[in-house]
Amino acid sequence: MNSSPPPANSANGDTTNNGENGQDLNLNFLDKIRLSAKRDAKEDEGEELPTELNTINSAGGFLVVSPDKLSVKYTNTNLHGHDVGVVQANKPAPIKCLTYYFEIFVKDSGIKGQIAIGFTKESFKMRRQPGWEVNSCGYHGDDGYLYRGQGKGEPFGPKFTKDDAVGGGINYASQEFFFTKNGTIVGKIPKDIRGHLFPTVAVHSQNEEVLVNFGKKKFAFDIKGYEASERNKQQLAIEKISIPPNIGYGLVKTYLLHYGYEETLDAFNLATKNTVPPIHIDQENAIDEDDSSYALKQRKNLRQLVRNGEIDTALAELQKLYPQIVQDDKSVVCFLLHCQKFIELVRVGKLEEGVNYGRLELAKFVGLTGFQDIVEDCFALLAYEKPEESSVWYFLEDSQRELVADAVNAAILSTNPNKKDVQRSCHLQSHLEKLLRQLTVCCLERRSLNGDQGETFRLRHVLNNNR
Amino acid sequence: MITREEWEKKLNAVKLRKEDMNTLVMNFLVTEGYVEAAEKFQRESGTKPEIDLATITDRMAVKKAVQNGNVEDAIEKVNDLNPEILDTNPELFFHLQQQRLIELIRQGKTEEALEFAQEELAPRGEENQAFLEELEKTVALLVFDDASTCPVKELLDLSHRLKTASEVNAAILTSQSHEKDPKLPSLLKMLIWAQTQLDEKAVYPHINDLSTGKLEDPSE
Repeated sequence: MNSSPPPANSANGDTTNNGENGQDLNLNFLDKIRLSAKRDAKEDEGEELPTELNTINSAGGFLVVSPDKLSVKYTNTNLHGHDVGVVQANKPAPIKCLTYYFEIFVKDSGIKGQIAIGFTKESFKMRRQPGWEVNSCGYHGDDGYLYRGQGKGEPFGPKFTKDDAVGGGINYASQEFFFTKNGTIVGKIPKDIRGHLFPTVAVHSQNEEVLVNFGKKKFAFDIKGYEASERNKQQLAIEKISIPPNIGYGLVKTYLLHYGYEETLDAFNLATKNTVPPIHIDQENAIDEDDSSYALKQRKNLRQLVRNGEIDTALAELQKLYPQIVQDDKSVVCFLLHCQKFIELVRVGKLEEGVNYGRLELAKFVGLTGFQDIVEDCFALLAYEKPEESSVWYFLEDSQRELVADAVNAAILSTNPNKKDVQRSCHLQSHLEKLLRQLTVCCLERRSLNGDQGETFRLRHVLNNNR
Repeated sequence: MITREEWEKKLNAVKLRKEDMNTLVMNFLVTEGYVEAAEKFQRESGTKPEIDLATITDRMAVKKAVQNGNVEDAIEKVNDLNPEILDTNPELFFHLQQQRLIELIRQGKTEEALEFAQEELAPRGEENQAFLEELEKTVALLVFDDASTCPVKELLDLSHRLKTASEVNAAILTSQSHEKDPKLPSLLKMLIWAQTQLDEKAVYPHINDLSTGKLEDPSE
């Protein structure tokens, strides 16, 4: 039996009896605040997209690119096979997505209509049609053939000419190139070229002129619909997998227990008993082993207090029930609570009181690595007449209260004397969270082993139906 | 092989938003129709339900009516909710009428059952071969004194009521532009699939027990 209660974690390296994992978890809450700050930024993969034609490395002399860099015209007289007017996009196609797609519109098919659309590598010989050299592919309008590095092309689709909208795409899931004409797919071939690929357009006879669309305008082909149907195919295969019956109910139950949503849990238990047929949650044993109903009422109460902004009462309750949590005034939990009190004062316009409180309780965190940036951002609330419209608006959101409530919840759970090794972060995550993390890492790992190509699992996208 | 330590580092590096997990749970409660639980969850967590909770109560009333064998009542309620549902769902409407017939037979109201079958169901059967076959199967129940000897006795089973209730529940959800299944089970299947896919290329700690999420060391 402990003679003195263990101090809670602090950010400046005090790991007295909390293993590294416990500290990581509490620091995790600070990271979550940093994540909130970025919430408006699109959750993209950080890849730059092709937006226009590259005039620097194009086959200048044979062609001319328009000032807006979205159309190209062949200016030469076609004499032989090494005076093709080839131009690539300014950036390679992104790879961390399901597909990439772009289109050309043939404004003028010139004398011989020898226009091509395809993909090439950075080192491509810019005097040859895409597909006439290895590590390139091209769909040619004069014969409708697909060329992919061998001398001869193969019959592939229809020819295309003036007023046709022709598209070229990459499907990273199926590892294929696909091409479209006037809104319909004409064919696909396996993609066996590795590395970054540039969308490429070529013109080869006098007066040929082509407009290029990298997505600024609506495509003739319904690429979003295509992506949706590809995802559906995968989804249909996944739906066939069988899982234990009623497992969803068990996971929801343990989730509610873990976070202390007691009232919801009671309503949920009642509802599942009254369902026809009654839902039997098989994991009663698992739930008991976890002892996840430890301090349920207290956790519920503390959560309510924090969510209502009653921080003083919350601190008093913690002092009374779990003094070990608030013993170290420089711990993450104390920081979050004091921060929240400050926020609540600002929220109701009590700025002077806020400043005093900040001096008293928050100033000590300035200069502590791990806290400084957040303290500064928090203090910034004072500078705005309408802080909810400022860059630090997220502090005023309900989600911030929820975050603090979660931290308090985790701290209380970690006082459970019955659980060995409570500080390991895996014990402080609900089962549902563990499953979601595993799902994400498996997808990321698989993608990484696949040359980083393709989509990865994003809970937010799934919840929004990938919109 | 990816060690447990390396793997746990990756797991902890994932950015998972609490609000997204809350949304997933709310989606479950709402789709299953647990109104009170959804209300409480909204209060305790601040998560907004994705559809109006009042519509859930209506939907659950319909489901309950069918589960209790009060099909006429259920049909009335569905039409109150949205008359287009049955109009645009002939198969559902037929199944509801068929359930009504089954209930009449169950109650021993033979004459009424026959009248109902002839007036309401036979015309549908004429339009549609599949309906006709279903109708014939149902009417066959009348021929047997002891239903337990009837080859189509599963129609009398209470589970058939649940099947019909489920069908109407799904149709209402669809009419409200809501998916008829909660997302959570799909994600669990996705996890199994993702692990199987990754097995082709790497050795790493698995989660084999979905109910606990316990991480197990890479097996030999």
